[in-house]
Amino acid sequence: MTTAELQERYANELKGFGASLPDDLAAGLAGLESTLDESQLDRWAKGGVDLANHSLRSWEAAAEYYRASPQVAAKLSFEELEHWLSLATGLATESSLMAAAFLKATPDALDQIETTDLDAWSQQGGRLCRGNWKSIALAGLYFQHSPRLLDSLSLASVGRLVDIIDQLTERSYELANSVLEGAGDIFENLAPEDREPFLAFARAVTRASWADTRLYFERGPKLLEGVAEEERANFLDLASRVTMDVGRQGFPLFADAAQSLTQVDTEDHGELLAFATSIAPGSSTASMEYLKSAPFVRSRLTPEQMGRWAAAGVEVLNQGNAEGAEAYFRLESTRAEEMLRALSARVELPAVSQMLRLYAKALSGEQVAVLSSEELVDRNIGWMSESSATTEGTTIYLPPFVSSFPEQDSNFQVYKVFTTHQTGRLEFGSFAYQWNSDGPYTSTTVVDREEQRAVALAERTDEEIAAAEAAEAAAATESVTTTEMQRFFNLFGDRLLISGLFTIVEDTRVDAFVSREYGGIRAWLARLQSLEADRRPEVRAMGLRQAFVENLLRASLGRPDTIRWPETLQDTLAKALAALKVVEQTGASVQDSAEVSASLYDIAMRIPNIPQDAVDAEWLPPDEEMISIAPDMPGGGEGGDAPMPSGEEIGFENPEQPEFRGDFKPELVQLLMKLKDQQAGQQDGTASPLTKEQLMELLENSVEITISEWAEGDLASSLGMFLDNLEKDAATPASEKSNEGEGETGDDPGGGDGADDEELKVEVDWFYYDEWDFRASDYRPRWCRVGERPGEEGDTEYYEDILRKHHGLVMETRKQFELMRPESFKKMRRLEDGHEIDLDEAIAFHVDKKAGVGPLARVYSRRNKIERDVAVAFLLDMSASTDEEIEKQRQKYEEEEEDFQGDPSKYFQWLAQRRAKQAIEPPKRIIDLEKESTVLVVEALEAIGDAYGIYGFSGYGRDNVEFHVIKDLDEEFNDRVRKRIDKIDPVRSTRMGPAIRHAIHKLDEYDAKVKILIMVSDGRPQDHGYGRDRTEKEYAVHDTKQALNEAKRIGVTPFLITVDKEGHDYLKQMCDDIGYEVVDNIESLPRRLPTLYRHLAAD
Amino acid sequence: MTTADQIKEQANFQQLAVEDFRITEEPYYLPIADEVELFLSAYEQKVPVLLKGPTGVGKTRFIEYMSWRLHQHLGEPSQEGVPLITVACHEDLTASDLVGRYLLEGDDTRWIDGPVSRAIKVGAICYLDEVVEARKDTTVLIHPLTDYRRLLPVEKRGELLEAADGFLLVMSYNPGYQSALKDLKHSTRQRFIAIEFGYPDRDQEAAIIENESEVDHEIAMDLAKLAEKVRNLKEHGLGEGVSTRLLVYAGKLIHQGIAPRRACQVAVVWALTDDLEVQRSIEEVVTSIFEE
Repeated sequence: MTTAELQERYANELKGFGASLPDDLAAGLAGLESTLDESQLDRWAKGGVDLANHSLRSWEAAAEYYRASPQVAAKLSFEELEHWLSLATGLATESSLMAAAFLKATPDALDQIETTDLDAWSQQGGRLCRGNWKSIALAGLYFQHSPRLLDSLSLASVGRLVDIIDQLTERSYELANSVLEGAGDIFENLAPEDREPFLAFARAVTRASWADTRLYFERGPKLLEGVAEEERANFLDLASRVTMDVGRQGFPLFADAAQSLTQVDTEDHGELLAFATSIAPGSSTASMEYLKSAPFVRSRLTPEQMGRWAAAGVEVLNQGNAEGAEAYFRLESTRAEEMLRALSARVELPAVSQMLRLYAKALSGEQVAVLSSEELVDRNIGWMSESSATTEGTTIYLPPFVSSFPEQDSNFQVYKVFTTHQTGRLEFGSFAYQWNSDGPYTSTTVVDREEQRAVALAERTDEEIAAAEAAEAAAATESVTTTEMQRFFNLFGDRLLISGLFTIVEDTRVDAFVSREYGGIRAWLARLQSLEADRRPEVRAMGLRQAFVENLLRASLGRPDTIRWPETLQDTLAKALAALKVVEQTGASVQDSAEVSASLYDIAMRIPNIPQDAVDAEWLPPDEEMISIAPDMPGGGEGGDAPMPSGEEIGFENPEQPEFRGDFKPELVQLLMKLKDQQAGQQDGTASPLTKEQLMELLENSVEITISEWAEGDLASSLGMFLDNLEKDAATPASEKSNEGEGETGDDPGGGDGADDEELKVEVDWFYYDEWDFRASDYRPRWCRVGERPGEEGDTEYYEDILRKHHGLVMETRKQFELMRPESFKKMRRLEDGHEIDLDEAIAFHVDKKAGVGPLARVYSRRNKIERDVAVAFLLDMSASTDEEIEKQRQKYEEEEEDFQGDPSKYFQWLAQRRAKQAIEPPKRIIDLEKESTVLVVEALEAIGDAYGIYGFSGYGRDNVEFHVIKDLDEEFNDRVRKRIDKIDPVRSTRMGPAIRHAIHKLDEYDAKVKILIMVSDGRPQDHGYGRDRTEKEYAVHDTKQALNEAKRIGVTPFLITVDKEGHDYLKQMCDDIGYEVVDNIESLPRRLPTLYRHLAAD
Repeated sequence: MTTADQIKEQANFQQLAVEDFRITEEPYYLPIADEVELFLSAYEQKVPVLLKGPTGVGKTRFIEYMSWRLHQHLGEPSQEGVPLITVACHEDLTASDLVGRYLLEGDDTRWIDGPVSRAIKVGAICYLDEVVEARKDTTVLIHPLTDYRRLLPVEKRGELLEAADGFLLVMSYNPGYQSALKDLKHSTRQRFIAIEFGYPDRDQEAAIIENESEVDHEIAMDLAKLAEKVRNLKEHGLGEGVSTRLLVYAGKLIHQGIAPRRACQVAVVWALTDDLEVQRSIEEVVTSIFEE
């Protein structure tokens, strides 16, 4: 039978189906003619017809069959071809659509797989089909995309991907579709060796959390890009293992770790991952936490140090404390932080600021504060550099950390040199410039200069004046100036130049003073100077005048050997160097600095700022003679100088300040001081105020603030804002600034010197405390932030009310307490030595002696003074639960007691009575009883004279533990305290640990022999994040217990009182050997508390 | 020979009755202001003296010097000074510790004069060191001694002692570290003229250190500089500035060959405070001033 016949014959049979089917058949026949013999062709064509007849829409599959066959047949034998059809028919049984997709995709798929794999391939698709239309579409999609997938994955791998997709279908077909669609791109872009691991991790993620699968497929490849190429597979392997272990936390950990790795040099990834993998068997989480912390740790430690740091974590792990190791690597453990600090060469300012502050105070004798430079920049009063040291007259600002050297000690020495230089500016009077006053080595020329300048300005022609800056001219001629420094700078046409010169000269003077006065620091100062000198920019790239200034700076760093200067102009430089040396002499003052700067200015102004190649001379280092030149001021006769070269001038810039000297802004500092004086003066009515115009003028002219620093926009308004900042700053005393800083410092929170200014501010003082993580058996460093604030004030009436209501009880407790007051002297008898002879004892002794019994001669007596020295802190639970009415609470426990024997009328009677009672007297809440008890205790304690503090605590979360001061230990009992007691109100949660720690801190600061902490609460400790999850109680209980132990350790006796009837179970655990009491009948609390106190404070 | 005599023979020490003690060699004392003239006049006029000042500035040295100096001033022929009887006061010091008491001896009691009684009898300077430490009921006892009466009632014996001519009561008092509890009663303090002792200035202090410890001038200047710096920290972590006495100790150690930094550490830093932070700060000041 010919092909034409075949075509005709089967076309007929195909008529009932889609119109194109006969054409497809014809095309197929044409394509196959050469490969198949007649009978085969017949069978082939018939197969298609059978398929078309197979089910309702299977003709579509038949069409694909005919279309694909020519290509397929090129790769398959006829038997295989028939088998292929049978596979399709099999699929068509489930869905003809799927069969069609299968047939259509086959030619492309055969490019990737062996003919023998056709079965497996079709099965994989078939597996996805579950009979519903969504699954059919998915299976179709599979066949459509699989050739592409097979391009990058083996068939078996694709099978695993199908598994994943299959799993996803249980949740969402949409998700399954999108993953399948995206997979082709993803795997194609991955390196071949990463594909399998990527898939393996995908499986793990899917198993752990189907929702994360989408995230993984969306973000995974991007995340991986940050990881070193050759390490991606390892990372994915690790991630899979971790995820299999930790479940739904797996992907987030992976994502965070990947993010962290991008911040680390890719060269180090291998090492980091190898270590992480090595600890994964012990704790999967720890391995990922390690990677997460890596950038932070790496920024502080060398690889070798980091190894040692990690080894310490492994030790924790090896002790079987997986939670501890996790906390360690998460950097939420004191051990980890201490280790880091010990290993790190980097010195952080908070760790040393307190000490440097005392150091600076010792040197200067001033109330200086030490803060981070960042804070000065934030203050926006003209200082811009966050990383250099400086001072504004009352505070020394230092860079937030120093890591210039590989050893910790050296970095600390750098801090010390910074501090010493800045302190030197205060100690040696850098800001004390006075107009028209002679220095020990120079006599001032400012008055002459001022006259000359006035004349010079007046002589200028109109155009010249117009050309000159109007403001500058005005400032110089009117000579109405705000500060003496400003007046001095006004003498010079080029303020930038004089400011740069004055900085160099003054720093030279301060450095000279420092190395003369502080021999111990000389070596390090010289070392830093030398380092800076070697780091200077190339002098020949500068204009001539700038090179001159730069050379002066080098000389001032004690390294004249680094100077380079044209041979022909050596004399000029020699003169300048001699002048600079004037201020290095013992006793030189800032007046000398000003005068030397002025004469250097004169020299510099004669030097044109022309490019280096315009100077026709060789640039040489100075000779011996010049280096050892004697200090001398340049004389008046300057005629002998070498003629200056001339040429086109270029822009002038002052040389950059050496790091250890930092910014120097004497004009601004004098202004700040003046503003300060003015603010102080305003109070007693002296000192004429500065006008806004004067201030603006100073700021506009000063080169200490560069124009580019202004916020964009109009100059006047930014100047105004700037001025506001300055004025605000002047109003803040240094001690307060330092307080802010102090709160931030490490282990010893507070400093507690806020007592005297408490009257003024209602601000919150922040303190940081560690929290005990019992799982890691380690502290979480600086975990909780406690905000101490004075309690709100209400009315004194409440207090008086309580007193009236409990008049009897008050009198009773008072009396009891008064009995506790000790007699001031106690007679001690039977002593071997004393003031008086006790007659009775003497006679007895005498008799005994005669009788030969021979006892010891204890016949003296003396009177000893006894002092009562007790301090107690009451800590009241102000959590929301104390808002609960007592009646209700009682109901909880006594529900059964009220038995109305099913008689509703009795019940209503009872209810009516209760309501009536409540109408007269609102129901009492737990907090009310706490308050009443407080009143009673206060009354009693006032009688006995013990020092006591009353505090309330509450808060929400670890960042905001509220600590309300009702009465501080050293505060007098007064109306304010009475008013505060009125305002004790329920707030939020109960994070006991930090509150206890803060109370301990207060007791610790207080000087007393016996210290007691009494905490009154209504239930177990709980707070947001106080435990692994909402329901966990262990963590909070352990932390509280630890806090109580800390109390005991420093000699405070803690005692707990709770009104929670269920208190016994957790209190037993929490208190161990610490005293506690569950007050059964809540209403007895006011009576009970004083009694308890009496027992506690008895001895 | 009694046992006491034997011991005396064997050992190299002296045993004296308190009233027999004399300052025989001129103690080194560098007058800071007019305190010497003031004291001489007070002695002449029998006006009791209160020496005020922080610890270790030379109050005790001053009184020793004055006791030596007084015999010259009074023109007495003997080379010995006016007797000086010192009582270190403490919080258990009672009236009988000062005046005297009965002791049992065999079958009898024996009266023993206290230091104040002895001073009265021999006309000595009676120096009550750190008087605020004593109990207030004890200090009241000396009131009649300090005014024109110059009498001491001895209650237990029913006697009155009238002070001999050379007797003068001198007390020392450190207003710095006492709490309000340990302040002097006004009725007590208003019976004395008060001479204030402050820290000497740098040059004077260096001279003292140089003289007492025999270190060279430069070291002495550095020590004095250190003192000045450390005193800046007073009331700021430090209860009291470093005393001249401690500086002298440091100087002596240095003179013996201890490295200056180490000597200052033990004699100044550790002696001054237990607060680690403050210790560290002072140590940094020390290392800034001394090179090794």
